[in-house]
Amino acid sequence: MKTVSELTQAYKEKLYPHLQILEDERKKITQNLYVIFVPIMIGAVWITIAVKHPIGIFLGLIVGGAVTYFLTREYRINFKVKIVAKIIEFIDPDFIYIPNNRISEDKFVQSKLFGRFNRYRGDDYVKGKVGDTEIEFSELHVAYHTSNGKNSHTKPVFDGLFVIAEFNKNFKGKTIVLPDKAEKMFGGLGNFFQKANWMRGDLVKLEDTEFEKLFVVYSDDQIEARYILSTSFMQRIKDFRKKANKKIYISFVDTKIFVGIRYRKNLFEPNVFKTILDIKPIIDYYRDLRLAVDIIEDLKLNVRIWSKE
Amino acid sequence: MGFVIFIVLLAGICVLLYNSVIGKKNQVDNAFASIDAMLKKRYDLIPSLVASVKQYMLHESSILTEITETRSRAMSGNLSADDRVDLDNKITKMLGGIMVAVENYPDLKANQNFLQLQRALNEVEEQISAARRAYNASVTDFNNACEMLPTNIIAGMLNLKRRKVFEITEIERKNIDVKGLFNN
Repeated sequence: MKTVSELTQAYKEKLYPHLQILEDERKKITQNLYVIFVPIMIGAVWITIAVKHPIGIFLGLIVGGAVTYFLTREYRINFKVKIVAKIIEFIDPDFIYIPNNRISEDKFVQSKLFGRFNRYRGDDYVKGKVGDTEIEFSELHVAYHTSNGKNSHTKPVFDGLFVIAEFNKNFKGKTIVLPDKAEKMFGGLGNFFQKANWMRGDLVKLEDTEFEKLFVVYSDDQIEARYILSTSFMQRIKDFRKKANKKIYISFVDTKIFVGIRYRKNLFEPNVFKTILDIKPIIDYYRDLRLAVDIIEDLKLNVRIWSKE
Repeated sequence: MGFVIFIVLLAGICVLLYNSVIGKKNQVDNAFASIDAMLKKRYDLIPSLVASVKQYMLHESSILTEITETRSRAMSGNLSADDRVDLDNKITKMLGGIMVAVENYPDLKANQNFLQLQRALNEVEEQISAARRAYNASVTDFNNACEMLPTNIIAGMLNLKRRKVFEITEIERKNIDVKGLFNN
């Protein structure tokens, strides 16, 4: 595994020239943005005063946001093609990276991890092989949008990295590992678990008390669930969760392991108002990508001592 | 009227409690049967294992005869539960011994047939362990019902006793280094 210091080295040698070109591009864009923002703000204030209603501010924000989005689009695409692609190449030169692709909706449903949704977005799709194990992942933003004429409400279903890898043991049933119901305190999701239990199968009580505190497990086969979640595998999941320091959702369905790592931010997106020449965000991108790839090593999915080859 | 409702409710609660205790008891029996099923799978693998290692492991022929005998004794039925457990523990030990001895036979370790068997055995061992853990979980559930209010009253009336759990030790196994084998 490559270290952060190796990354720093690669950053200086391979990334820096590309970053400098992008930095020039970024500076031009922000200059343009400031020039455009001034009339938009004046307009917003003028409308607000004229109609004596804060609608002007809202309009200003919407127009400003849209302008920023369109003016920075090319920059963001360039950033992905030139920088994120290089970081992925650094992790493994054989990985395939498709910036505007995502894990398919079918596979997301197949994981059985999350309930109904009607908004499905995502990007930064990566596919490859670590040792003998195939892996694919992408960023996903999944939500359930409801609207009854006047009121509309969007409930987030999942935001973060969604990883799919081939599992190293054979199994037939479905086993699901979710963050424990402490979630309930934060509303929505907690209720969702209880409602959805009937489709998730029976509760599996495991003997690892620490694991039990962190996760709740459902399966349609009590023995198979324990066959998958061996004592050492539970330990590895705990360690991985600690390292990720994020909410982790795992399911074992159709010979695969599905892992959802929840993030509260948009991943692998540059901030156009900050210099790109800073190495810290680059290290963050690397860490987030690495986390997904590390699932194979951390959960030892390359260990093939069972009848599955 | 109020009294009738009270009686009906009480009877209803008793039925629910009774069913939950019986359900837990059956769950334990069921889990025990699954351990048996997994052990049976292991018995089925032993003859093929013995057959495939026999020609290589001439010095260890005694352990091979012994494991074959132990297997047929364990399968013969009419054994007490404790004897069965003893025999199965013995088999686990002997299998472990054979796998260690295999290290001295590079030809054997390179044999595809044997490797397949070794994988199948690893799988079965882990399944046995999983089945035992599942059994322990249902025994704990059942024991709780036997001792906690109000189900303990029903359990007492049915003369249901606490059951023992298995002691489980898990052995971390190493990956088979296939590449290393061929380089030897």
